[in-house]
Amino acid sequence: MSILELQRVSKVYGEGDTEVDALTDIDLSVNRGSLVAIMGPSGSGKSTLLTIAGSLEEPTSGDVIIDGARVRGMSRNDKARLRRRTVGYVFQDFNLLAGLTAVENVSLPLELDGIPMKKARSKGMAALEGLGLADRAESYPDQLSGGERQRVAIARAVVGERSLLLADEPSGALDSVNGESVMRMILTACHGGVAAVVVTHDAKLASWADRVVFLRDGQAVDETLPPPSPEELLNPDVPKPSLS
Amino acid sequence: MTDVLDRIDRRPPDGGMPARRAVTRWAWRLLRREWRQQLLILLLITIAIAVTTVGVGVSTNTPLSTYVGFGTAHDLGTFQNNSATTTQKIDSWRALYGRLDVIDNEAVTVPGSVNTFDLRSQNPNGPYGKPLLTLVAGHFPKSASQVAVTSGVASLFNLHVGSVWHATGVARTVVGVVENPLNLLDEFALVLPGQVANPTNVTVLFDATRLAKGTSNVITPADVSKGNLLNPQTISIVLVTMTMLLIALVSIAGFTVLAQRRLRSIGMLGALGATDKDIRLVVRANGVFVGLIGALVGFVIGFVAWLAYRPTLESSAHHVVGALQLPWIVIVVAMALAVAATYFASTRPARAMTRISLVAALAGRPAAPKQLRRSAVPGIIFGVAAFFLLGVAGARGGNGGSGSLAIVLGFVTLTVAVVLLAPFLLTVLNRFSRSAPLAIRMAMRDLARYRARSGAALGAISVGVLIAMVVIIASAARFGNVLDYAGPNMASTQMIIYTSNGPYGPGGPGNAGAGNGAPAKSIATMALDAHSIAHDLGSHSVVTLENTSATLQHAAPGRSFSGPVFVATPQLLKAFGIKQSSIGPTTDVLTMRPGFAAITQMQLVYGNYFSGSKGGPITGPTAWPCPKIDCLANPSIQQMPSLPAGTSTPNTIVTEYAVHHLGLQPITAGWLIQTPVPLSAAQLSGARATAAADGMSIETKSTIPTSATIIDWATLAGILLALGILAMSIGLIRSETAGDLRILSATGASSRTRRSLTAATAGALALIGAVVGTLAAYLAMIGFSRTSALDGLHSLTSVPVANLLMILVAMPIVATVVAWIAAWRDPKGISGQVV
Ligand SMILES: Nc1ncnc2c1ncn2[C@@H]1O[C@H](COP(=O)(O)OP(=O)(O)O)[C@@H](O)[C@H]1O
Ligand SMILES: [Mg+2]
Repeated sequence: MSILELQRVSKVYGEGDTEVDALTDIDLSVNRGSLVAIMGPSGSGKSTLLTIAGSLEEPTSGDVIIDGARVRGMSRNDKARLRRRTVGYVFQDFNLLAGLTAVENVSLPLELDGIPMKKARSKGMAALEGLGLADRAESYPDQLSGGERQRVAIARAVVGERSLLLADEPSGALDSVNGESVMRMILTACHGGVAAVVVTHDAKLASWADRVVFLRDGQAVDETLPPPSPEELLNPDVPKPSLS
Repeated sequence: MTDVLDRIDRRPPDGGMPARRAVTRWAWRLLRREWRQQLLILLLITIAIAVTTVGVGVSTNTPLSTYVGFGTAHDLGTFQNNSATTTQKIDSWRALYGRLDVIDNEAVTVPGSVNTFDLRSQNPNGPYGKPLLTLVAGHFPKSASQVAVTSGVASLFNLHVGSVWHATGVARTVVGVVENPLNLLDEFALVLPGQVANPTNVTVLFDATRLAKGTSNVITPADVSKGNLLNPQTISIVLVTMTMLLIALVSIAGFTVLAQRRLRSIGMLGALGATDKDIRLVVRANGVFVGLIGALVGFVIGFVAWLAYRPTLESSAHHVVGALQLPWIVIVVAMALAVAATYFASTRPARAMTRISLVAALAGRPAAPKQLRRSAVPGIIFGVAAFFLLGVAGARGGNGGSGSLAIVLGFVTLTVAVVLLAPFLLTVLNRFSRSAPLAIRMAMRDLARYRARSGAALGAISVGVLIAMVVIIASAARFGNVLDYAGPNMASTQMIIYTSNGPYGPGGPGNAGAGNGAPAKSIATMALDAHSIAHDLGSHSVVTLENTSATLQHAAPGRSFSGPVFVATPQLLKAFGIKQSSIGPTTDVLTMRPGFAAITQMQLVYGNYFSGSKGGPITGPTAWPCPKIDCLANPSIQQMPSLPAGTSTPNTIVTEYAVHHLGLQPITAGWLIQTPVPLSAAQLSGARATAAADGMSIETKSTIPTSATIIDWATLAGILLALGILAMSIGLIRSETAGDLRILSATGASSRTRRSLTAATAGALALIGAVVGTLAAYLAMIGFSRTSALDGLHSLTSVPVANLLMILVAMPIVATVVAWIAAWRDPKGISGQVV
């Protein structure tokens, strides 16, 4: 079942002389449990793709369908609810809200969705435990290392019944060991049934994906199906990637 | 699956209470982390509420002495005796107005002294007079042979509960100690009604909804305050209103900066699925928290200060003041207003937050500054309206009811005008800077183009300066008045010891029966003691002050003459280095008050002038020219700058020539003592004790601030406020064009250019704020004085030039220099901390 579907999505920034075609006619479908990596040079439209896929921005043309619902025409409140319930983001360098502990950061989307504090908190704890971060639950963001922050952000992105994880260079600011552990976590989330789209520059990390989309000047130039990784071979539960 | 859907659907569609709570909690945490950035707002509110708490506490507990006798009554009638006509009149009032409280007083002279006390009959449970009488010990008299006395009377006659007292002609047993809690100086002996045989004063307290025509011997508190233009009440209402507006403006500027700093976090909150309502709530909750904290801290500080000041107040106000005897409603309203001000100030930045796209917010990209093309017309209309409203206030004397309303409305309208008009001066400044260096030109162009961006900060600076300037101009005008001389104060090395003949004693000027001085022997004793006090203080300069019945009067509308008029004795002239030859042969009055000699319609009144007329307090104009009996119209007044300047010192004196040709009788009023070093509190209380033993009183430098003190503090406060607002918002104002700066740097512009840009921006805002605030203050004061009968336009001529220069010139320069020094930091830092 397709969690995210982009249909001929284009995005134009500015107008007249300063017009930039950030994305041109992008089609993409991501199924439950699958991991799609996006690669491409700087300025090729990767971030734009993610923000549009996550309803943070409107495409100039084309349609975005998240979990069966068409984003176009939704009210701001409906989009906010969609983000609370379905979409989780992880950004490169700024994710956690200062002033809230790790567990409060993780349970925040649940509370924003009307789940009482205690219950949201216990769900947040569970998510942190699942990612091996239980001991950091009461730490504030500035007491966490870069890798820990990204992992807390992933926990927040998947907490509750979220089904779509969008990560924009989540390991971009991390060393290779930490970067790998972050990717591994995203993969774990996918194994749990989450559909993930991850922007990365690291070919090795991209190779873990079910599919890699290459962008150049806003256009998808290549889509590859990487060979099955050792993990996939070991884990027959992972759904086989499919090209739409 | 249906189970999951079910669960999902039971959640409130907008997150409901849990979401509100989570967002509010986060706002609170952010405030705890970043309170320093809101320090200016917090400080302003804290100070405002603390000052309000103490101020209203002191002012409501310090009624004008003339109010004191009212008790809880609205009307106060007086009679000089208890003749049949008096009784008849009182009975008719009772028929007209219902309940009455009749208090009989008979002035009784203390044998061998000039002091008097009252033999008084008063119902301890009277409907209106109850607050004027409390029992300290024993009980109230129950029979004609019983009396209760004040502790002053008790010590004067060495009485205690149980003693038998003969002093009032009748033998009475002292059964209690009483006091007038509203006036601890009120010394009396309380007897049963009907026991005061020959009252010299019968006071009738009552509430008349409508006074019958032709009742001339009745006054109301409003009558008492009529001559008192701009009473403290009006001033505090205006100050509170202006302060709240200022807090709102500073808060708008501050919260805009804050929202900017939190832009990325707020973007993140939106990305997590917070609704617009929640995002606005973050900013609004912050506003409410800041208001609440400031109000609570301010109240606590104010209350502690009040408790600390209360004993001093009790002794200076001469009445008992309860610890909780505060006008709570006023305080609670002020606190609520502070919270409301910050809440409403936060709504604009809150709405702005939901107008920028989430992606821009996440990237820390502020919305592009708005270009403003607004007309100056609304601002001008508000300015004109303010001018006329203040004119109405001036005509009404700014007093009570519609007068206060007009003055408050006037200032609110003026504030709106200032906020609307200040940005237009940016355009003017831009036009002037056409040929300035690049950085300055850029700064001015940006300021002019994006006026909306700096609007709140500029408005706040202007209003801050406006308040400071109004205080400065008003006090300069008030203190510059040579008739109703209000300052400066006596020096800390000066002391005046008054005999009971002094200007404040029963034989002083303006009081009936001048000249009935104490026995000569008594004066000699007092002189001896005065000199011994001087000796103890190490003083070698004791000037005897002599008094006559003469005083000055201004027979025209406006303020009347105030201050003592002593005699220019040879000793006094010598003490101040005035040669007899420098005095004109026919000069009647010498004065140091500048410009006093030029005032027309002055008259020197003396003798039985006052007792001859209708009596009572003389307010407003009197007949001109006055009848030749006991009055000299147009006395010859000569300016004599070497006379001392203190309000109670001999700054205005009658010459011996006048004393002779008017046949005045000089009597010793007191001694002016100059000490080599400032007087200590211990020396003062020692001197006071010695003086009191002789029935003398002492005056020294009072704690009331002089005009110079008020003006200097107002100047300082205005400047600090303006600089604080600039410090708070200049980063934001420049950061929004940080892109320009980066391009500038890329094209090789030095850090010098960046610093010039910031410095020019700060300087321009400070200058325009100062100019607009000052102009608005003069507009207000001209509008008010134009129609004011008491202080006409001429009162505005005493301009505090140094203070004007401080605000108009020094403040912008300081702003420029500080901004230049502080601008070495990259302004980009403002876009929010990265976590
Ligand atoms: N808000 C915006 N306004 C104008 N142009 C933009 C905006 N956001 C992105 N762009 C442009 O769109 C293109 C794609 O940007 P982006 O999606 O950030 O690329 P990537 O993430 O691959 O580096 C770039 O040319 C960028 O300059
Ligand atoms: Mg990018």
